[in-house]
Amino acid sequence: MPRKPTGHSSRLLPVRPLTFSPFARSVARVATAYMVKHHACDAMQHSAGDEFKKLKKVERQSESSEDEEFDGVVQADFAFFDPKPDDFHGVKTLLQSYLDNKEWDLSGFVDLILGQTTVGTVVKLEDDEENGVFSIITALNLERYKDHKCITELKEFLLSICLEKDKIGNLRSLLGDKAHDVGLLVSQRVVNLPPELLPHLYDALFDEIAWATEDEPTEELRNSFRFKFYIVVSKIYKHKNASQKRSSSTDEDDAFIYVKPEEEILHKMSMWSFLFPLQTQQVAAHELKNYQLNGTVMAVKAEDISSFRQQLHTLINES
Amino acid sequence: MQTFPLPPKPLFRLPSDGKPARASSLLFSSLINCFRLIMATRLQFENSCEVGVFSKLTNAYCLVAIGGSENFYSAFESELADVIPVVKTSISGTRIIGRLCAGNKNGLLVPHNTTDQELQHLRNSLPDQVVVQRIEEKLSALGNCIACNDHVALTHADLDKETEEIIADVLGVEVFRQTIAGNILVGSYCAFSNRGGLVHPHTSIQELDELSTLLQVPLVAGTINRGSEVIAAGMTVNDWTAFCGSDTTATELSVIESVFKLREAQPTAIVNEMRSSLIDSYV
Repeated sequence: MPRKPTGHSSRLLPVRPLTFSPFARSVARVATAYMVKHHACDAMQHSAGDEFKKLKKVERQSESSEDEEFDGVVQADFAFFDPKPDDFHGVKTLLQSYLDNKEWDLSGFVDLILGQTTVGTVVKLEDDEENGVFSIITALNLERYKDHKCITELKEFLLSICLEKDKIGNLRSLLGDKAHDVGLLVSQRVVNLPPELLPHLYDALFDEIAWATEDEPTEELRNSFRFKFYIVVSKIYKHKNASQKRSSSTDEDDAFIYVKPEEEILHKMSMWSFLFPLQTQQVAAHELKNYQLNGTVMAVKAEDISSFRQQLHTLINES
Repeated sequence: MQTFPLPPKPLFRLPSDGKPARASSLLFSSLINCFRLIMATRLQFENSCEVGVFSKLTNAYCLVAIGGSENFYSAFESELADVIPVVKTSISGTRIIGRLCAGNKNGLLVPHNTTDQELQHLRNSLPDQVVVQRIEEKLSALGNCIACNDHVALTHADLDKETEEIIADVLGVEVFRQTIAGNILVGSYCAFSNRGGLVHPHTSIQELDELSTLLQVPLVAGTINRGSEVIAAGMTVNDWTAFCGSDTTATELSVIESVFKLREAQPTAIVNEMRSSLIDSYV
């Protein structure tokens, strides 16, 4: 039941819109309730998930940028939230190019992510009226959702773009008979999200997975979060001359450049990974003119995750 | 160069050259069309539900962006092919043609950065009675600045005076400078045809009344594509059919069908109207 609007009338809609349908009324109600939730957040009681996120927010205020000069630096308080249905448009925008330019049931996929409130985090601004989503992270059990059209299309896509014969067998087994132990790790963010958030974001995800194995109501659901493997689908830059071995100047030019810093760690500790060519045209920045953007699929063992978390903390704290 | 006749109206007379076979096939095909065109269509352009960005639909023609897959174009073709021309084009090399141009059955206005080849292609492909005009206006996203049907246009408040005159002249409409729910981009936040209109969900009742009086059509405040406020980006509509993004919910779709009177193409009503017009022609 959404809370009734309080006296913060300046922040609310000046006129309750004339709505003609239950859908539009619920949209209007959610718009007002969302704004109210954040005004009243200090006093009200939360669900356990949100409380955890409140702690995270307090820590992070010390990390948010403090400059208020007008040189393009903006002060922002990021907060972590459970996925909610109103995040649909924001999350969908972030995941637009998840499977390159394949036409698939992206809306269904976003609905799956938003439906799983126990595991998954959405990063938004603390007092944002526009509800902009800055980052999404979640892990989806491939067996649990195997009947959904988006998951079958995703599996087909991954199998079809895997051109390396030695990896396709592994991929097929992870997507097929081992699917109940596999989590699809979906992590997408805006390009300029401060990297200080990343260790907390991944900690939040893996902690939630651990709690879900104890807190979920049914045995089946608890088991569905006991992942043994994670699959990551993403994009990395590969040097166009990467086939040349160490003879070329490896000091200046790395073989791979990672858009997301944590993927460097994941790529190195992955059981296996492969690259696939992307069909969408990429605009190359000048510094990246020797690099080609490729899609990548990596598989990581769940037991390596604690080491991953430590390495991520070190990586971010150093840089 | 192909010329298309004006689209058949629901009421029509027997052709005067007295070809009974052709008349009955016209009758039959338009009955079939009535059955098919009752529903609004849901579709996507590549993975985007913003159908109104990549297409422009009027009563006399339809423009479609050149896209990755043919599905988008075929959806329009299958609905419209035998009624109005469906033309694939780009505008100033981009695919966002729905937001860059504005038009109705009388004309089409394109921005100053439209290339000569594109302009020529449009002039060749559209019916002769549609005047294609390139205008020198600094606000080049004409589709975001101008919303129009065959009789009235709403425009961005900062449009040049000459542009307003050209709109009135080329499109044959009465021009009003307006805002919608405080938004100056009227072309983005409303979509209207000669029969009805859908506007930004936060439009107040007074504003709805005011706009409805100006436009002389019933208006409703609503959303498209599962709660998106940018109405004209999510859908495109003319007097007998509409195309919406595939995220549009069943509720939103039923509102669209009712406010644009897409469902009123009841076959029996059409037949009765046609029958009365046929009898008229004998008198």
